[in-house]
Amino acid sequence: MSLNEIYSDIIIDYSRNPKFKRVLNNSEHSHSKNLSCGDEIDIYIKIEDSIIKDISYEGKGCIISSSSAAMMCETLKGRRYDEALKIIENVLKMSHKEPYDEELIEDIQVFSDISKYPMRVKCFTLSWHTADDILRSWKKV
Amino acid sequence: MSIQSFRSYFPTLDSQKLIYLDSAATTLKPKIVIDSQTEYYTRYNANVHRSSYALAQQSTQLYEQAREKVAKYVNAKTKEIIFTKGATESINLLAYSLFTSGVIKKEDNIITTGVEHHANFVPWQQISKYNKNEIRYYLPKNGIFKAEELSMIADSGTKIVTFTAQSNVTGQITNTLESINRLKSINPKIMVHLDISQYVSHEQIDVKSMNADFVSFSGHKMLAPMGIGVLWGKEELLENINPFLFGGEMIDYVGIKDSTFNILPYKFEAGTPNVSAAVGLSKAIDFINETGMENISEQINKVTEYAVEKMKNIEFIKLYLPGQEAHSSIISFNIDGVHPHDVAHIMDEMSGIAIRSGHHCAQPLMELIGAQSVCRTSFYAYNTFEEVDTFIDTIYKVKRWLE
Repeated sequence: MSLNEIYSDIIIDYSRNPKFKRVLNNSEHSHSKNLSCGDEIDIYIKIEDSIIKDISYEGKGCIISSSSAAMMCETLKGRRYDEALKIIENVLKMSHKEPYDEELIEDIQVFSDISKYPMRVKCFTLSWHTADDILRSWKKV
Repeated sequence: MSIQSFRSYFPTLDSQKLIYLDSAATTLKPKIVIDSQTEYYTRYNANVHRSSYALAQQSTQLYEQAREKVAKYVNAKTKEIIFTKGATESINLLAYSLFTSGVIKKEDNIITTGVEHHANFVPWQQISKYNKNEIRYYLPKNGIFKAEELSMIADSGTKIVTFTAQSNVTGQITNTLESINRLKSINPKIMVHLDISQYVSHEQIDVKSMNADFVSFSGHKMLAPMGIGVLWGKEELLENINPFLFGGEMIDYVGIKDSTFNILPYKFEAGTPNVSAAVGLSKAIDFINETGMENISEQINKVTEYAVEKMKNIEFIKLYLPGQEAHSSIISFNIDGVHPHDVAHIMDEMSGIAIRSGHHCAQPLMELIGAQSVCRTSFYAYNTFEEVDTFIDTIYKVKRWLE
């Protein structure tokens, strides 16, 4: 294992990129916690005509969790909600070392080694689980 | 004490590239303790206090000898030593039993502090909620505990005060004796429970001179296996409280309508106990006695002071130390702009350094010190100055690497 596997330049850059780090008013919102470290994250999603028009995150977290949230926002923006759910499902599969659709999740594959670090999987999946919750409860309503 | 020969007793240090700086979570185990587990299960495995065959007798003897060893080690009566699975169970047992026995009544108040590990905070908070009695919290400024402040919130209605002898985050050693004396001068009937889980790893314990009524600790923070802990209480107090867990072993007589319970300490030890871990704890005490607790403390204090001095000179880290108050073995810190999870992960990958990151099961204290989470490095007598040097170098490396 090497440090650059998981702390690659692209991952570190995304963690510092403020583009998607803001509160989104009049949106679907959910708050989550990582119980092992006390980190908290807020995800905001604005859905119009079943399309994710805008998406953002707020919160303090480690490089893995912030980078993962930023990349998630970039990936999910502009997708239909059911397509987004499919992407999330495959990203979560990747993090648990299960077979997943590589084409579907595109750039998120920079995190493909996360499954080698069980202690960090939660940091990575926090924002994805939160977005998943938002989309599923939106779908029910 | 030669540090190299002391280190050679700990097989974990031989088997891998490891700088273990997380002894506050659990200490490494000496070979004599590890071997005792195989020996127990190979030669003595039988359930205790039940059968009449020789093997069961030997097993029971080993278990009871372990109890005697612990009693002698902490200067208590043997029947006052209750074996639990750890300090968490000890504290839950005590809190629950005091309430169900009616020792703590609705009109009483109890006191805990914001410096506690969750294990000495949540049981009291939750049981007070259920029992509807008042619980008072001593929340010291910046998380720095002061004996004179604790006693200020006690009064004639206070039944029990529970607090730690050493913070698992700031490393502060609280002045337990002065705290207890002040509390008992306000109201001699106040009972005091001390959580000595951190303190026990580097200090000789004498429950009589500590002047507390109850004391809890875990074996695994003092070289013993996981799964064994102790609740000590004054005999007359333990006699008057009900059992916590019900089942085998703790019974005097069971009838269809009601049951009566065994004598101390067995009435608190329902079910098959962790005999091998008790034997391991006994071996750990032998090892500590042979090494000399004063030698263990001295090495821990030297290494801690050395690390504190070096860390004070690093301008980009924040230390969470207890100011002028007594301190040992534990240093919490943050590197500016780097999340503790990243620090811990990168230190491990770069130098094989094991430190902890997170809220350390002390969320009220994290609020008092104004941090969401921190990195924590903690020492035992097997840690060396060279390991501290590597740790300090790695702090710089982490910072540089992320720039």
